[in-house]
Amino acid sequence: MKYFSFIFVLILTVALAWVISNPIGPVPPIAPLIDPYHGFWQNMYSEDELAESELILEGLTAPVQVVYDENLIPHIFAENDLDLYTAQGYITAKHRLWQMEFQTRAAAGRISEIVGDVALELDRMTRRKGLGYGAELGLEFLQKNDPETLSFLEAYANGVNQYINTLTPAQTPVEYKILNYKPETWTAYKSLLLLKYMSDMLVGDRDLEYSNLRKVLGEELLNKLYPDFPVENDPVIEAEKVWDFTPIEVQKPDSTNFPNDDLVIEPLPQPEKGTGSNNWAVSGSKTKNGNPILANDPHLSLNLPSLWYAIQLTTPAYSVKGASLPGALGVISGFNQNIAWGVTNATKDARDWYKITFQDDSRKAYKYGEAWRETTFRIEEIKIKGKEAYLDTVVYTHYGPVVYDKSFRAERQDVNFALKWTVHMGSNEQKTFLKLNKAKNHADYNEALDNFTAPAQNFVFASKSGDIAMRIQGKFALKWPEQGKFFMDGADPKMEWQGFIPNDQNPSTLNPERGFVASANQHPVDPSYPYYVFDNSYEHYRNRRINGKLRQMDQITVEDMKTLQFDDYYTQASEALPLMINLLGTVDSSDEKAQVYLKLLSDWDFYADPNQKAPTLYYIWWGKLYDQIWQEWEDFGVPVVKPNSFQTIQFLKNEPEGSVFDLGKTPSSETASTHVRKAFEMMLEEMKEWEEKEGDFTWANYKRTTIQHLVPQFKAFSVANVYTGGGGGIVNATSGRHGASWRMVVELADQPIAFGVYPGGQSGNPGSKYYGNFIPIWAEGKYLNFNLRNVDDSEGILFQTTLK
Amino acid sequence: MKFISLLILSVLIVVFINPIAPFWIIMILLGISSALVGAKGASSFLATGLGMGLAWLGQTIFLDFSTGSQLPYQMGEIMGLGSGMVLIAITGVLGFLLGGFSGMTGSYFRRLFKKKPENIYRG
Repeated sequence: MKYFSFIFVLILTVALAWVISNPIGPVPPIAPLIDPYHGFWQNMYSEDELAESELILEGLTAPVQVVYDENLIPHIFAENDLDLYTAQGYITAKHRLWQMEFQTRAAAGRISEIVGDVALELDRMTRRKGLGYGAELGLEFLQKNDPETLSFLEAYANGVNQYINTLTPAQTPVEYKILNYKPETWTAYKSLLLLKYMSDMLVGDRDLEYSNLRKVLGEELLNKLYPDFPVENDPVIEAEKVWDFTPIEVQKPDSTNFPNDDLVIEPLPQPEKGTGSNNWAVSGSKTKNGNPILANDPHLSLNLPSLWYAIQLTTPAYSVKGASLPGALGVISGFNQNIAWGVTNATKDARDWYKITFQDDSRKAYKYGEAWRETTFRIEEIKIKGKEAYLDTVVYTHYGPVVYDKSFRAERQDVNFALKWTVHMGSNEQKTFLKLNKAKNHADYNEALDNFTAPAQNFVFASKSGDIAMRIQGKFALKWPEQGKFFMDGADPKMEWQGFIPNDQNPSTLNPERGFVASANQHPVDPSYPYYVFDNSYEHYRNRRINGKLRQMDQITVEDMKTLQFDDYYTQASEALPLMINLLGTVDSSDEKAQVYLKLLSDWDFYADPNQKAPTLYYIWWGKLYDQIWQEWEDFGVPVVKPNSFQTIQFLKNEPEGSVFDLGKTPSSETASTHVRKAFEMMLEEMKEWEEKEGDFTWANYKRTTIQHLVPQFKAFSVANVYTGGGGGIVNATSGRHGASWRMVVELADQPIAFGVYPGGQSGNPGSKYYGNFIPIWAEGKYLNFNLRNVDDSEGILFQTTLK
Repeated sequence: MKFISLLILSVLIVVFINPIAPFWIIMILLGISSALVGAKGASSFLATGLGMGLAWLGQTIFLDFSTGSQLPYQMGEIMGLGSGMVLIAITGVLGFLLGGFSGMTGSYFRRLFKKKPENIYRG
């Protein structure tokens, strides 16, 4: 009997221990998660409570001092670059390991390893676009051409890995505990992958949609509805700029045959609307103190842990501070003792699609001119949690990977399309930032930028010596007009890109007469620029607001620049709403709300401040109107893009009775006014519903700015309903899910005077008090002091660590 | 007396050894302690169970007070439990069960080697 009861209890105990140590379906093992000494409870500590005054970091040539200011921003003081980047890797991993790892796994198409086959399609997409392939080429490029940068990347990896190796279960980031996996070794390759991933986030193309539109609408209507330049073009490089170089001639083929298939394949995911940025610099002649001032605010998805990690990196040679990307070396947007720089996305059709004609089903060869060229096969092994790995074969042509084929997103077609993209060309973006970090003047800045390929950026610059500059840098293909706007025939060698625009012919300007440079993702140049420039997504509002303000302003201070970054003026509304109210005419609606809303709209000053109600009304009304006007676009049955809002407003203004407003499918003839009235009715309906369900419709409450954890299902780790103004197309571009992911203002005085903030916090740990502590500051348009620190400054120190 | 000693011993084991060892090592140690102390099955169950349960509960409450972190509440939401308090309770109960069964196993193990009591009264 006693044997029996012993064995019974023993089995019960072991079984209990086993059950809580193993995952049950999607539920992670409970014990390692809940054990208060190792589980998530240990992640409740904030970094200052775990401060260490000394840490061993192997591979350093001299001790490195890390000083944290009260916002947990590390200031790293090292004797040389190798030590500096080793320490940067270690410290960044200490605060952001899970995020770095997760983002690079996403970039490598390896999310299925963590979450199972729900992510398989996403992983296939990522891999078929060739991000990993691009990063491999990038690594090869470094091995051949730039062993120094490679050695820095390896030093960084060494730092990250030493942190991973000393990681205790207790301090392992909580996301690993919930998702039940472990960090893996960091490599130089992963840093490169991260930069490719940024390209992917920022670059889109609408070749598919334009190919369809060309077929549906015909060339003439297409050009009317989607002009290459808007009437009020206010480009990045001032329109007065004289191009003082002899352009390379681009030969347009005599005949261009675009593939004329009905393209019903699913388009690639595009960068989300609202992804964009502002940057500008004003010269000393326009500022109160006579020093140039530079400002930058990149707009991206608002995520936690934040994409950015603030840092100061110092060696005896230089001291740089600003926003870094966890996983990449150096500072990406920042300043040093001599210069400041910033980036905005310079969208310019960098991806083109070629239709591939395979010789036979084996896809071993494809037609090119009169001959057949051989393909190569790349087998992507996608590991899946809890399942067998998935093998995906991607065919590569000399253009690039065949993304769409019989096995992927093209059930109804046997067409194959290859993607040509600058990301697949060996390049060295990392070097640009390393050089910018140390740059002393305009020449250094130009030299740094020469290394930059993709994603093309508008690099703003200002120096203590008084220069301001802007340069649009990327590797831009030489294209004849309309090349790459539509899908092209890959069998026709005449369709090839004819080389690249030389770096010194990329649009740039230094100390323009108007006293400022600025970019906001708008058209890069005036039509006088000798090369073909096209993109679907150029900005039409923020640029005019910023340039308009900067033209007017004088005696500018840092405070003025902060105010401009947080400017809520809704330019689009200011142009569309008066037209809409006019076209609406008198409202005889019995709905008493109609009069109330109209009054709110008529009295509005066009500022989309968080406490305003009119922006909500306008936003809904405009949205309905836009959908009404272009409703037939939904009936085309193929993926298309609609004409942009700016163009639509032009039609409202210039030809309200015009044929663009008439719906072919109805016997009656519609005008702008018809749509405006209909949209108004629809707005009343939607508002009724909103007021019944939600009550308050002030702007902040309606747009509900949310800063979302990288795993959207972890809602509790997100910060929802942030009370802040702004919106898409507004200088303060904070919409529901996008906005200023980093704001920086620097005055290039003798000692730079700098301010910065981002919607997040230095810690990646949701349990830490430094996880989201900048959000309220950011939401109010306030900033943190970002001045450079010396190693012996004793004020405002949270704690210090010596690495040796 | 044995109950109290085992309870105190259990708390000490969890507080001092759990920070450097995973929970299953603690379970084995509690089993061994229970066998050495030699309390009866039910009493061992209660002593080691309360020992581990209270130590775990105490640690979570200590962390909650000392860090002020919102993490338990966030985790409670993610795990669909609604509140952090539930999670604190679950941690305590889990500690109690793990400790209790370990102790009981230890106690029953000792019983295997105990001399049979029939000779006691026969002199």
